[in-house]
Amino acid sequence: MAGRSKTRQTLVAWSFALPFLLLFVVFLAGPIAAAFVTSFTDLRVTDIKNPLSVDFVGIGNYLDVLGDQRFQKAAQNTAVFVLVGIPLTMALALAAATGLNQGIVRFRTIFRVGFYLPVVTSIVAIAVVWRLLLGSEAGLVNGILAGFGIDGPGWLTDERYALWSIIAMAAWRNLGFLMVIFLAGLQTIPGDLYEAAEVDGANRWQRFRGITLPMMRPTLLFGAVTTGIGYVQFFEEPFVMTEGGPLNATLSLALYGYRQFSFGNYGYTAALSFILFLAIALLTLLMFRLIRPAT
Amino acid sequence: MRNGRRAGGILLAGLMIVALAACGRDEDDGGGESSAASLAPEVDTGAATGEVSVWAMGAEGDNLEVLADAFMEENPDVTVEVTAVPWDAAHDRIVNAIAGGEGPDVTMIGTTWMGEFAQLGGIDPTPANIDASEFFEGAWDTTVVDGTSYGVPWYVETRLVYYRTDLAEEGGVTEPPASWDDLKAMAEAIQGAGAEYGINLQPGGTGSWQTFMPFFWQAGGEIMDADGAAFTLDGEPCVAALTYYDSFFEEGLTAPAPGDLPLEGQFANGDVGSFVSGPWMIGVVTDAGADPETWTVAHQPTEEAGTSFVGGSNLGVLADSDNKEAAWAFIEYLSQPEVQVTWFETIKDLPSVQSAWDDPALADDPLLSAFGDQLADAKAPPAIATWEQVAAEIDGVIEQVTVGDMTPEDGCPAMQEAADGIGTGA
Repeated sequence: MAGRSKTRQTLVAWSFALPFLLLFVVFLAGPIAAAFVTSFTDLRVTDIKNPLSVDFVGIGNYLDVLGDQRFQKAAQNTAVFVLVGIPLTMALALAAATGLNQGIVRFRTIFRVGFYLPVVTSIVAIAVVWRLLLGSEAGLVNGILAGFGIDGPGWLTDERYALWSIIAMAAWRNLGFLMVIFLAGLQTIPGDLYEAAEVDGANRWQRFRGITLPMMRPTLLFGAVTTGIGYVQFFEEPFVMTEGGPLNATLSLALYGYRQFSFGNYGYTAALSFILFLAIALLTLLMFRLIRPAT
Repeated sequence: MRNGRRAGGILLAGLMIVALAACGRDEDDGGGESSAASLAPEVDTGAATGEVSVWAMGAEGDNLEVLADAFMEENPDVTVEVTAVPWDAAHDRIVNAIAGGEGPDVTMIGTTWMGEFAQLGGIDPTPANIDASEFFEGAWDTTVVDGTSYGVPWYVETRLVYYRTDLAEEGGVTEPPASWDDLKAMAEAIQGAGAEYGINLQPGGTGSWQTFMPFFWQAGGEIMDADGAAFTLDGEPCVAALTYYDSFFEEGLTAPAPGDLPLEGQFANGDVGSFVSGPWMIGVVTDAGADPETWTVAHQPTEEAGTSFVGGSNLGVLADSDNKEAAWAFIEYLSQPEVQVTWFETIKDLPSVQSAWDDPALADDPLLSAFGDQLADAKAPPAIATWEQVAAEIDGVIEQVTVGDMTPEDGCPAMQEAADGIGTGA
């Protein structure tokens, strides 16, 4: 009797899980497995009428990807983007959140909307505006600099500045999302902790370091991980603003993969994607180690 | 739970083994029949009936109804259904259509996609009722893959030198540039007459090969050897062309980086004195307010040759089409000289059929007839499946040489090596 009801329960549970499971297998697990197999073959666009009549090339694609100079350049750009971009975005977001939480009382909503607006604005619209801002001849930034007698560079067309311009734009675009998360985190910190610290004579900076940061650890971790996963795959910014140029200075791993895919090199792209996936997994693991709440 | 996971793992591994075991190329694929005739047997287009679905991109897709309606009036038994496809999505949609066997009967095809689609086995060889000699040779060559033609050129474009005659004259140049030295002298003269830059050449970036390759051809270069088996990018012509191209950057005659001001505006107000581009710029420059008395177009300069680049789009019939008679009948119709002229009058697409250029609409326009003259000496890149990727490598080297610090002597071997690494996809 008990056994039958348990079987029944299991069946009901599976039937509830089935819609998700089907979608997951058909649209996610299946393609991922197919891509994994593809990464060991020399599949190209010209094979798609007969995708099974391709040769198995072992880890050849992986070796090709790792030995590819442009992949190395893209990996280097992506590393700079991630290592500079994540701390920068998080610091800006935390500053904005702390400011909104404590200092700024008037126009608080306006600030919140202002910081969050870039998050919900289309990247294409943003890119157009930023290109107008950063243009070398007619750009607003260089126009202002010219007022001070400075001849501004081509922010997006000079190899030395392009990646930094894109990092600045990405930080501006993404800080709103983190700010909202951080603001929620800040509001969960009990006020009496600060009162007690104040009684003990801790100044503003000491209170921030001794209370805010430790209490915010889980929130910071969440912010670092989600931002990190997004940043390792940064694509839209160079895609719409620089096409990876000049001289591949803003070529990202995801953009390089996209290009190889559009050239029809499916096996190569699949291998590149799995390398990118591995990089994201490692980075996430590293961040968990670094910021994990001390237990 | 643990058992379940293991079973799933075994299932996945099993699936992969099945997939891998099924892999492996047929030894003799890709080679094709040894006696590749250039045209397929005739198709009886006279008896066309039924439905024909057509995909076309851009302005062509938006306006093709005009010709489709006229065709249906002449052929009441046929219904033509036009679908406009955005350019950005067109390549992938056609690939998907070929892979899935569910596509249109006729599609417009970018000239650089022909090699890929033909190799996919997705498009039909051109039947013998189409006369190759009616088309411009350079344009026809874009349809030929491994000796077989897979479609017809629909419309063409080629690149000429646009220049400000008033500024050139002010600098003492009264004749159109006939040689490389002339072109350089003209750019210097225009700059001397007050322009910020004497010429505008693309400093790398997507598509800069289309501006560079004419110089390569003019120096006597060929992209591939006679049987289309190997790349012949490196060599004296390449170094000469790349050195010449780079000299405009070295001498400050062209902008060192892509600017953020539109070229047509700079040309109209005299900041940029000349540039190399296609027929669409006639309208763009005019709209930007350039006085028609102050500028004209000139044939490409001549060294070993005076060759330009020919682009445009082709029309092809999908191999899976179930109404090839009507599909080819529609393409035949679009290739008639009168229809080509109508099409030019509709959206200004230049005719790919040579005799259409005798029509006064084209022959009496001095700017357009200059394009017609150049089309007789214009080449297209080889129709190979990997051309887009090779072209991106060439774009990259052009940027390395003009903007970066690579020398032309290193650039040409780099192009060759990259192209050899990619191969022809055959």
